[in-house]
Amino acid sequence: MNGPAPSPGSTGRTVAAVLVPHWESKTEEGWLTRQVAGSLACATEVHVITPDGTGARASTDGPFTVHRTGTPLRPEAEARRDYLVASMAATGPTGDGPLPVGAAAVLDRDLLEPWSAAGGVLAALRPDLVVVADHRSVGALAAVDRVAPELPVTLVALGSDLDSLGFPHYRPVFDRAGTVLAVTESERRAIADRHGGADRVVRIGAPLAANPSARSEPNTWVGDTEYVFVVSGSASDAHDEEAELTRLLRLRFPDNPVGIAHTDTFCAWHRGRVEEGWAIERSSDMARLMAWARVTVDLRGGRLFARRSVESLLYGTPIIVPADSRAREHAERGRGGLWFADAAELTWCVEALLQPTTRAALSTQGRAYAEDEYGSTDRFIARVLDGCGLSAAGAPVNA
Amino acid sequence: MGPPALDPDEFLEQLKAEHRVLSWEPLPPDQPRRAPHGDQSRTAASLRYLHGHWALPDSFDPADAGGGVRGRTVGVFGRLTYRVLGRYLREERELLAHMVRVNDALEKRCDELAARCQQLDDDMLTRQAAEAANLAKLAIWLHLEPPGAATAPAAAPNGSAGRATTDGSPPPP
Repeated sequence: MNGPAPSPGSTGRTVAAVLVPHWESKTEEGWLTRQVAGSLACATEVHVITPDGTGARASTDGPFTVHRTGTPLRPEAEARRDYLVASMAATGPTGDGPLPVGAAAVLDRDLLEPWSAAGGVLAALRPDLVVVADHRSVGALAAVDRVAPELPVTLVALGSDLDSLGFPHYRPVFDRAGTVLAVTESERRAIADRHGGADRVVRIGAPLAANPSARSEPNTWVGDTEYVFVVSGSASDAHDEEAELTRLLRLRFPDNPVGIAHTDTFCAWHRGRVEEGWAIERSSDMARLMAWARVTVDLRGGRLFARRSVESLLYGTPIIVPADSRAREHAERGRGGLWFADAAELTWCVEALLQPTTRAALSTQGRAYAEDEYGSTDRFIARVLDGCGLSAAGAPVNA
Repeated sequence: MGPPALDPDEFLEQLKAEHRVLSWEPLPPDQPRRAPHGDQSRTAASLRYLHGHWALPDSFDPADAGGGVRGRTVGVFGRLTYRVLGRYLREERELLAHMVRVNDALEKRCDELAARCQQLDDDMLTRQAAEAANLAKLAIWLHLEPPGAATAPAAAPNGSAGRATTDGSPPPP
């Protein structure tokens, strides 16, 4: 596909505007958006437009020019939207059914005005291509259509929530996009099933890599090898389901060291005895614990693409994840692990993966899948550029 | 050549099918382990020696001097030496007496602790057996009434399941 004709940007390159509700990289969604923008920077001049900030200003952030309009989206408005979508998806209309009268206005309350200033930035930039991050960015799309309704739009779906992904209120966003970028196969399938146009929904994966230093020496918090590594989103003294599952695992397998990463501490259990340490904060510590474990049990499930599970597979460590989580795709489609629906199945899966032959098979399969779909930055960049109708010719060699 | 391919879907179905058949049984109580050389302390011979020899000599024995002039001279110096060291020797005897009493007390305490440990061991084994029996009852109940079946009867104390009959009569003993 030929790329758009270059506009008179400052560098003579194609100008791409990336509209994103929050420019950050702490969440999976924010991190992935940044990676998409970085891929675009290999072939275009990228301008990020976001309502964030306390005042209108433009700044440089690496290869990007970030235009903050200083009209941030209020967290309460976003929370209200999410709660309404969840409750209406559970009890209200499905498919193409109409929303209750006035529901659209309530959903978009305080989420459209913050984007109004983005129109001015777009008008000044005159981009050749617009990328909208998050399928719920109705305000961003409205800003684009006010200024340049003919501009091609690529949507980065960020479909962490399958309820909102298929919600009828956001169909116009999908319909407007010429291409929709999805991270996982389950996200791609959900979009294609609900909004059609399977040929314009592109799975891009994510650019991850196994840190070679993680395999240089084990993290001795739990033991050298043969330990079960559990990642929990609960505190060590909590009594929710996740916390109960961690207790079950360390009781059920007393002869194997079990390392549990809680939110507030790290516990290494073996034969009924525990050593407690600080909560894991550095990604390098997490990487080493995963790289040398017999199996990674990720009770959190992951949001957009379950990054921790993919990283575990890149290190050759099979995963066990909740059956209703986004990470299940990596275990099932990637054949890199097992999944569980209840506590009994969890213990059976761990018991099975403590067998060397089972572990070896899933390790090999999972690593091959992770390296193919998530382990190459070059392939990720190529998929993003191809999805946006751009060519990487002329992109820097180290892109 | 890598390990053979494994389909997680099929593997999980097989895993669930295997675990649907109850193959659980309670653990038998551990066999008690006795100390290889008995539980009493093995210092009886030494203690007897202490009891019989704690009183060291505190005076000069003329028989050690020998006879003749030399013997009389040795005797004089011997008596003089013991007289000079008399206080030290009496203090030392007292110290040794206390040490013997302490050793006696320690031995008695060790024997008491050993007996207590043995009692704890026996108590723990008794408890293990009771827990195993209780769990066996639960396993039988779960086998007959798997979770999710019709209303399960409420558990009586000690986990023994009382099964109500349909006519409301009390459960069988």
